[in-house]
Amino acid sequence: MQKSFARSYDSLKEIYDFTEDFFQAEDIAEPTRYPVHFALEELFTNMVKYNPGNDHDIQLNVENGGDHVTVTMTDYDVDAFDVTVPRKVDTKSPLADRPVGGLGLHLIRRMVDTLDYHYADRQSRITFTKRFE
Amino acid sequence: MFEIEFGDDGNIRCMGRLDAAQCEKAQRFMDSLAEAGTLDFAGLEYISSAGLGVLLKTQKRLAETGAALKIINVNNHIKDVFRYSGFNAIFDIEASGN
Repeated sequence: MQKSFARSYDSLKEIYDFTEDFFQAEDIAEPTRYPVHFALEELFTNMVKYNPGNDHDIQLNVENGGDHVTVTMTDYDVDAFDVTVPRKVDTKSPLADRPVGGLGLHLIRRMVDTLDYHYADRQSRITFTKRFE
Repeated sequence: MFEIEFGDDGNIRCMGRLDAAQCEKAQRFMDSLAEAGTLDFAGLEYISSAGLGVLLKTQKRLAETGAALKIINVNNHIKDVFRYSGFNAIFDIEASGN
């Protein structure tokens, strides 16, 4: 299933509904759904946040791979931002020293099985997979 | 859809999906809290990293006066998110059914 979404936080509800329709059509169980929703929304939110002036829609493709879900997101006319590069994340400091923000990519890496990034011709393509649970 | 309000028991009931689009609403409510409170997540299905930011910002502000948030009735998915974030070390968290 494929669909394009406007570059806005307001698209999050529409993306959730689109993905839920896919899960229901493919009879994919709830434990798999949460991490897919989470990764998808975090990555989409990053695309909105870091390219606010871009008026291209963001393309989303979801597929049933038999024992896993594959999600591909394509963003057009953007600078490269490799989401697979490990970033320093603080999850152990005391409250006073804990920075607000910066957890999204760390959490995605904990929740999905593969995360890939491809950049060419000013197009970013992110693909992640989640095995059925 | 996300809703946040005081319940009859005085706890703060969070319901629905706290995604990036709903964080402004959540932050407005949390900014009005002047003392310790208990967040009841029984109706909360989902929280994004932006939602975690709302919780962390509030906890840091309350800690300056010696107060803190407690979070109860956390579902298993959100419990995992808290664990991966290290939030279980800086929040008093009770899972569903505890």
